[in-house]
Amino acid sequence: MALHLNLYHEVLKAKALKRRDPLKLSMYGLAAVIACFAGYYVLELVKLHSINSELTRVKVEFDKLEPLAKTARKREEDLQSQMKAGNLLVKRVENRFYWAPLLEQVMQVVPREVQLTRLSGDLTGDGLRRCSLSIDGLSAGTDPRKVAEDLRTAFTEKFSTKYKNVSSKFRTLEDGTEMISLDGKQVPTATFAITVDLYSGEELIAAQPARKKK
Amino acid sequence: MKLGKDEIQKLILASLIVMGVVYSYFNLLLGPLAKSQEATRKSVTALGPEIAAAKAQIKRTEEVEKTAPASMETLRRVMAMIPEGSPVAWFPPRVSDFFKKQGLDKTSTRLNTEVVEKEMVGFRRMNWGIDLPKVGFVPFATALAALENEEPLLEINNLQLDVSREEVEMQHALLTVSNIVKQ
Repeated sequence: MALHLNLYHEVLKAKALKRRDPLKLSMYGLAAVIACFAGYYVLELVKLHSINSELTRVKVEFDKLEPLAKTARKREEDLQSQMKAGNLLVKRVENRFYWAPLLEQVMQVVPREVQLTRLSGDLTGDGLRRCSLSIDGLSAGTDPRKVAEDLRTAFTEKFSTKYKNVSSKFRTLEDGTEMISLDGKQVPTATFAITVDLYSGEELIAAQPARKKK
Repeated sequence: MKLGKDEIQKLILASLIVMGVVYSYFNLLLGPLAKSQEATRKSVTALGPEIAAAKAQIKRTEEVEKTAPASMETLRRVMAMIPEGSPVAWFPPRVSDFFKKQGLDKTSTRLNTEVVEKEMVGFRRMNWGIDLPKVGFVPFATALAALENEEPLLEINNLQLDVSREEVEMQHALLTVSNIVKQ
């Protein structure tokens, strides 16, 4: 076996020590970590860029749509208010109270023994309309009070065919002081004042029922 | 392996450098980047519903525009029935002419009150008093029927008929009417 003499062992030892230098090794490790960090950072930067592009695209779309939507909202409000006004007008015209048929019914009911001296009517309410009639007059006959009472009930019956909740009552019914000539006979008279209340149309609440709490 | 004093110093120095690098990386580079990403993402997310709402609004308006013409036609017809100009100038003569045509010559019309219609934008209601001093019951009722048929925007709110003391056959009629006019 040949004998080997290492005359450079000092040099080799120094080289080995230099190779295992902890600071140098740490720096290598650190460089690797920094490279990883840098790579990850670049990846994140790319991601941010893509999100920024998305934001720009969305902003451009929104900037284009926003004025259109504002105009559309204004137009819708205008149209809705005009449609509402139109519908209300139609409803109002359709729900009008007609007085001519009422006068026709009064004319049909009043008998020849009665003379009306005053007739007034007052209309109140929207939707469901309340008409209050005040009828003053003079009745004549052998029993003028009965003639007046017959007239009051005749009003109720006649108006009930066309109107709702018809009610009539005497405000006054008094014997008259004068005698008048009817069919050649002198008959007594009575003065009366009748109030007739009647309703027509529909309740507005019925069209829009209120929400009940459960 | 036994570390010398010099090597331990180097290791401590290296550790400090590593910690500095890591701290700087996360706090000065990655942190702001993440924050910026989050803020941008939030902006994108926030704009999403706004875009959807804008699109929905445009669609809704298009649908309303499709259904509007039918209702607008009624409104246009009603508007055409109302003459231009101040109602005080055209309404009383119109009423007088109407009753003259019906054979009732003496008529006077005056303005009572004026109400702005809150629910009907662009319209107002005017209340008038119409005085007919001498009318027969039947001609008056006939004229009233014609008035109610020919003037759909007019409604009689109050009616009063009094027998004339001079002529029993004649009555004094007083009407309170409301008429819808343009604002």
